[in-house]
Amino acid sequence: MQIGWLARFWATLRKPYVKYSLLTVGSFFFVAGVVFWGGFNTGLEATNTMSFCTGCHEMRDNVYQEYKKTIHYSNRTGVRASCSDCHVPKDWTHKMVRKIQASKEVWGKITGVIDTPEKFEAHRYTMATREWARMLATDSIECRNCHTLEAMSSTLQTEKAQRRHAKAKAENLTCIECHFGIAHKEPVGPDGPTELKAKLLSKK
Amino acid sequence: MKSRLVLLASLLVIAVPAHAADEAGAMKLLEDSKCTKCHSVDKKKDGPSFKETAAKYKGKADAEAKLTKHLTVPSKVKIDGVEEDHGAVKTRDEAKIKNLVQWILSR
Repeated sequence: MQIGWLARFWATLRKPYVKYSLLTVGSFFFVAGVVFWGGFNTGLEATNTMSFCTGCHEMRDNVYQEYKKTIHYSNRTGVRASCSDCHVPKDWTHKMVRKIQASKEVWGKITGVIDTPEKFEAHRYTMATREWARMLATDSIECRNCHTLEAMSSTLQTEKAQRRHAKAKAENLTCIECHFGIAHKEPVGPDGPTELKAKLLSKK
Repeated sequence: MKSRLVLLASLLVIAVPAHAADEAGAMKLLEDSKCTKCHSVDKKKDGPSFKETAAKYKGKADAEAKLTKHLTVPSKVKIDGVEEDHGAVKTRDEAKIKNLVQWILSR
């Protein structure tokens, strides 16, 4: 019985469509495609907003409060880097990869891995090293949504900063190796990005 | 029973000074004074970590005096072979400075 229904459905799918013209059918699927793609991207963009990220208390009560005191939240020029500016790459391919990885965070939310301040603190080092390792692997792709070494005006930087950035260029260092713990509390733990990089390189 | 209570009470009194340094206050002063730009508690940055500093001064009688001077009087330090200015903490409150020095030394 079940098979018969399926077979009939399959036969209908295989049959040429004769009632409407090719133009009508083509136009329908063209419009449907636009609506689907637009909806998909709008939905994806919605998950990139600060209000989405801070919709859960895990983010709102911990990392969001720390970030609110930093220059990426409030500064003289009024350009704000929101959560996704630093945690989600801008270009489509890398964004999709990151979004698929982030679905694991939904599982974390359901199982309550970090649902109390104590649990969050206990898990902070693990989460931070995961972010550092990711940024080491992608040459700090999110930082480069806005910052590049090429676009830095050396005359506007202090001598100290100029020396550091010249060293970064010469030794092929990536942003996160020096600039970590800048928007959230630095976790207690043995490895920072420099130590992590050394470990990753020795494994290769 | 009574002697046990006395023992417990004296243990508490002894235990308190070890945790006397106010961590939140120390961290705030570190951030306000921009120390954390070059120093981490336990990780590698341009300056030594506070753990390294604590290890260096461990068991030395003049540790507190030396570190207090380093934190309050601007000096020069060498980074990658270049001399750079080492700043001072942005407070004149001696209690806050003492707290920070003790906190660093107890890492």
